[in-house]
Amino acid sequence: MNFFADLFSLLGTSGLWHSSLQYAALLLLPALGGVISERSGVVNIAMEGMMLTGAFFGVAADLALHNVFLAVLAAMLTGGLMAAIHAVVSIRFRADQIVSGVAINIFAGGITVFLINRLYGLSDVGYVPSHDTLPNLNVPLLSNIPFVGAIFFKQNIMVYVALLVLVATQIVLFRTRLGLRIRAVGEHPQAADTAGINVYVLRYGAVIMSGLLSGLAGAFLSIGLANTFVPGMTDGRGYIALAAMIFGKWTPIGAFVATLIFGFGQAIYDANSSIHVSPYLLSMTPYLLTLVVLAAVVRRSSPPAADGIPYVPGAE
Amino acid sequence: MAAAAKRSARQEPPQIVRSLRRASRALAVPIGSVLLAFAAGAVIVAVTGGDPVKAYEALLCGGFGLFCFGGEPSVLQLSNTLVFLTPLIMAGIAVALPFRAGMFNIGAEGQLIMGAILATTVGIHLAGWPVFVLLPVVLIAGALGGALWGGIVGVLKATTGAHEVVTTIMLNFVAQWFLRFLIIGGPLQLPGGSSKSSPIGASAQLATLVPHDSRIFLGLPGAVYRAHTGIFVALAAAAVFAFLLWRTSLGYEIRAVGQSQRAARYAGISVRKTLIVSMLIAGAFAGLAGAVQIAGVDHNLTDQYFTDTTGFDAIAVALLGFNSAVGILLSSILFGALHGGGSVMQSDAGVSGSLVYVLQALILFSIAANFLRSVKLRLPALGRLPASPEAEVASSALAEESDTALASDDKDTA
Repeated sequence: MNFFADLFSLLGTSGLWHSSLQYAALLLLPALGGVISERSGVVNIAMEGMMLTGAFFGVAADLALHNVFLAVLAAMLTGGLMAAIHAVVSIRFRADQIVSGVAINIFAGGITVFLINRLYGLSDVGYVPSHDTLPNLNVPLLSNIPFVGAIFFKQNIMVYVALLVLVATQIVLFRTRLGLRIRAVGEHPQAADTAGINVYVLRYGAVIMSGLLSGLAGAFLSIGLANTFVPGMTDGRGYIALAAMIFGKWTPIGAFVATLIFGFGQAIYDANSSIHVSPYLLSMTPYLLTLVVLAAVVRRSSPPAADGIPYVPGAE
Repeated sequence: MAAAAKRSARQEPPQIVRSLRRASRALAVPIGSVLLAFAAGAVIVAVTGGDPVKAYEALLCGGFGLFCFGGEPSVLQLSNTLVFLTPLIMAGIAVALPFRAGMFNIGAEGQLIMGAILATTVGIHLAGWPVFVLLPVVLIAGALGGALWGGIVGVLKATTGAHEVVTTIMLNFVAQWFLRFLIIGGPLQLPGGSSKSSPIGASAQLATLVPHDSRIFLGLPGAVYRAHTGIFVALAAAAVFAFLLWRTSLGYEIRAVGQSQRAARYAGISVRKTLIVSMLIAGAFAGLAGAVQIAGVDHNLTDQYFTDTTGFDAIAVALLGFNSAVGILLSSILFGALHGGGSVMQSDAGVSGSLVYVLQALILFSIAANFLRSVKLRLPALGRLPASPEAEVASSALAEESDTALASDDKDTA
């Protein structure tokens, strides 16, 4: 089989693994955001829209301010703002959280194009000069290790950030009092409330956190990888992150493993010219995989018990 | 005199008054939500330096052919709106029917694409057949394609408990990539063309309302009017939906399952079968929308379908229409007009056409959060009588349905 011979020679290149990790990190940030939000009991299918918003405002701020740090901040804050809308609508107004998520995604797609037309005319946004983009970071010494160094230690700065966020999320969720409270609020808000935990504050915080992380991922995409903004540029990545979260059974580590698989799929897709199979069929694989996983193991991976159910004090 | 009339009205309001009250009560929340969304949209336009009045004038012109100060031909605008609203009706039903059964179908888009793919395939390969045979076959093929895609969701939900929101999102992407595969260098690609399929045969096409060979119609060549007879297919679909829901035992079972899976089970209804069947039928409606779109306007698959949002717009259509046939027709008119008006708004008022999506999202927020109830906005005439059952059910159905759906999922899978 030609396909397998091509695939095996591709597997021997460090470039493939480098981009696998890079794409995994891009998906990891919103996936972790989703984990945090849903662990607190708020369904979040709006990472796509938050990421898109962050991607746009990252570029817009970078072009205006020529400061990559402020650009990242703008991306996170606007992603967080979208999340805050989702939080208010689904926590304060107890709206259907999936409808709100759909609305956020439609809103983000609309408002970014609306603002492009307003700010830049009907033309393109334009490119961010390379000195204003998120830099690659070569770790001294370690990056010189043959093969491994090129994969792990010559990455964009955001890859390291994503891995740090992964570790932090895992520790906070499962090793701290705050994490215990977040999970309690997502499993049994009545009991948590009785124990003196403020359900609303934790849920607001968790949802906004998911927006900050998704916005950060948007900045990674627009001013770390693409260096421009194109309408709809997230191209379903927020949804793949959602899939990764479910795939990983609502755990940070599980989500990371899933993003590695999906990132690998994306890297293969990028390298499709060297393997002779339709890149379009290949692109289906993350989604098909998720369906198979859902069909096969869903009984053993259920979401947090109160996920998606608005909290009404005193109601049982 | 007035007091006497008032008293007698209180005792026995005439039929017409009662039905008017019922209608206004049922319409108060959706119309209020839409107005709220438009007000918020006006703020966004104004804040970003645009003129909201001009923008909405242009939107009305593009949507309904009203206030066309720029001299745009009104009938042409109406024709465009009709083109937009036709698939929305059927896709809206595809979202509404599972809602009635307590499921959230975000997959109308994927089901529509699969319907369009199958309809196009049939329309290309059987192009020699006579129109009165081929056209029904094309439409049925589309419905089957959608039903297949919806059926997968129903089976997964019923057998493994896989949440339909996630499976439909995944299947949307699978359908999109499958379409890319087919028409970019794949088996359906137009030889020598890029990113589009061959056109379907002439006998697979739905006729346009204004015959294309008519030289001049209302001052414009007949070919510019794209409105097509697919609107009658859509109206028939709405009638079938209403009949199915309210006049058949299946419809009763669907509504029962949507209200409470447990109660339905005790009543002897097979919940699993009902979930699967309602997703099959929903998929068929969405697939029909795709087939009508192919047979009526597009005539071939193009890369437009990669970015098509009909299946997502349908969510707004179904929610605003409170999952009823009449409601879906009315909200399809609104959203069809919005999409028809967007381009006119862009060209005439200089306000980005994507404001339409912003408005759509705002309407969704407004409906889902029911801001109106929260701000205790009450129309005096409506506040006196107890709410009619329809309005009450409609306003609370969504929240309750999805809550019970999620909650019972957990019980089912546990």
